[in-house]
Amino acid sequence: MAIPWDLIVVQTVNGIVTGMILALVASGLTLIFGIMDVVNFAHGELFMLGAYIGVLVLASTGSFLLALTTASLVVALIGAALQIVTLRPLIGRDPLTTILATFGASLVLQNYALWQFGPISRKIAEPVSGQFHLLYLEYPWYRLVIAVASAAIIGAFWLFLKFGRYGIWIRATTQDRVMAQAMGIPVPWVHTGVFAIGAAMAAASGVLFGPLVGVEPYMGLPWVLKAFIVVVVGGMGSFGGSIAAAIFVSLLESYASIWVSPSQAIIVSFVVLILTLLFRPTGLFGSASR
Amino acid sequence: MTKPDSAADPIVKVDDLHAYYGKSHVLNGVSLQVGRSEVVGLLGRNGVGKSTTLKSIMGLVHAQQGTVLFEGKPVTGMPAHKLARSGIAYVPEDRRIFRLLTVMENLRTGLDRAGMTESRRHELLDKVYELFPILAERRNQHGGTLSGGEQQMLAIARAMMLEPKIILLDEPTEGLMPRMVAQIARIIEILHREGVAILLVEQNVALTLECSRRVYFMEKGETRHHAAAADLTVDDPVIHQYLGV
Ligand SMILES: Nc1ncnc2c1ncn2[C@@H]1O[C@H](COP(=O)(O)OP(=O)(O)OP(=O)(O)O)[C@@H](O)[C@H]1O
Ligand SMILES: [Mg+2]
Repeated sequence: MAIPWDLIVVQTVNGIVTGMILALVASGLTLIFGIMDVVNFAHGELFMLGAYIGVLVLASTGSFLLALTTASLVVALIGAALQIVTLRPLIGRDPLTTILATFGASLVLQNYALWQFGPISRKIAEPVSGQFHLLYLEYPWYRLVIAVASAAIIGAFWLFLKFGRYGIWIRATTQDRVMAQAMGIPVPWVHTGVFAIGAAMAAASGVLFGPLVGVEPYMGLPWVLKAFIVVVVGGMGSFGGSIAAAIFVSLLESYASIWVSPSQAIIVSFVVLILTLLFRPTGLFGSASR
Repeated sequence: MTKPDSAADPIVKVDDLHAYYGKSHVLNGVSLQVGRSEVVGLLGRNGVGKSTTLKSIMGLVHAQQGTVLFEGKPVTGMPAHKLARSGIAYVPEDRRIFRLLTVMENLRTGLDRAGMTESRRHELLDKVYELFPILAERRNQHGGTLSGGEQQMLAIARAMMLEPKIILLDEPTEGLMPRMVAQIARIIEILHREGVAILLVEQNVALTLECSRRVYFMEKGETRHHAAAADLTVDDPVIHQYLGV
């Protein structure tokens, strides 16, 4: 059976759009893992909190841009506080303790959201409505906005990492924490800062993605699960690798859903994950980009 | 033999330092001092704790007992980044270049700090590029692509970016060709003349005696002896006692 080419085009666009937002979620996760060897199980909840703050700010001001920036800033502060209170005291301990700490934080945040906002899903209105013709489809403009906004945030952050003074601090600390400290870089604060940046990226993706799915306390779970897959497939801690992996995995899922339902297509991601772990445990995409 | 006079106004003074790796007692009473702009050697067999001594001064290894004074003030337990900012630089034995950072970015880790002016920045860079022209040539290359000797130069240049009052220099000539060894000796001399103190750990006894004013000898995690470098020769009984196999 031949696959119609227009279906492939549409699924490619879909894959790239989801891939970009996944890249935004995963790059925060990979950054945090790369620099402090912490797997942040609360990442999905930071995504969810960002979305809720977006709902509240949007309701009171009507500005989506304001909602996006406020959510990122507030969640960055929450992330910084979380890092200082729960992770900083664990430096030098068994890495397992940090997993328990972030997992605990995720449960607390989830239940806080449930208690504060209730189980009913809230809606974020799309800031850009309307559709355009994509072959046989009416394709929502907003989906493209998400992809472009995610790419812009990732691109800006990449420039900061590459050229900024604090970007160099982050890369030096990621490579050799002890030597970074011996060069006068305040490593404990770099860790806090990176955690805050990762949290802000999660929050931004939560707000951007909110209009597509609705905001509820457990909305972070599927995203963070996929983000974990992407972080492993991209090569633990590799920033460029996880972006490539996010797009790769999303494209595969998107093509798979030509034949099976989208919820079954997730299986493809797990297959990629298992194959990666079996045959290239260091990740599929460049390990040197770290 | 005359006892060498210790520094009158030491920049670093270490007193009865003890440190452990897990349960193993690695430093077992290290005491030494380094005067302003003085080059001091620290000699001893493999594994006696020379590197650990430097790491504990830098705050990279936690000392359980004893004190470190820097410019007369106790700094024991202070985090390494604060010590680096107040004037102690560390060049580790394995160099620890940031391999994925360019040469320039490696230097920037020490340059980008509060109070740095644009003109001071240029002066410091010009100075190291003049001392190590090869680094200027390779400034946009990743640290990991440099040869061993070039990495050693980068490690020293990077430390110099902090404008330190003292450099803790761990085996700078290890694995280098004779020509490079001579260059390291020259750099130590230049730093000394600029007023930078150096605590030098070396396997190369001749170079240590040539560069240092005083030398300490370590045995079993302890400083057991110290002497003026001028009073010692390479085949001195004291050298045999502490370094012979
Ligand atoms: N990270 C570590 N964990 C456990 N033991 C260590 C560690 N680093 C060093 N040691 C041990 O502590 C002792 C002192 O080590 P140190 O590196 O200070 O010796 P050194 O005098 O610098 O030796 P070398 O001349 O080989 O460089 C050695 O017995 C070494 O095996
Ligand atoms: Mg050593």
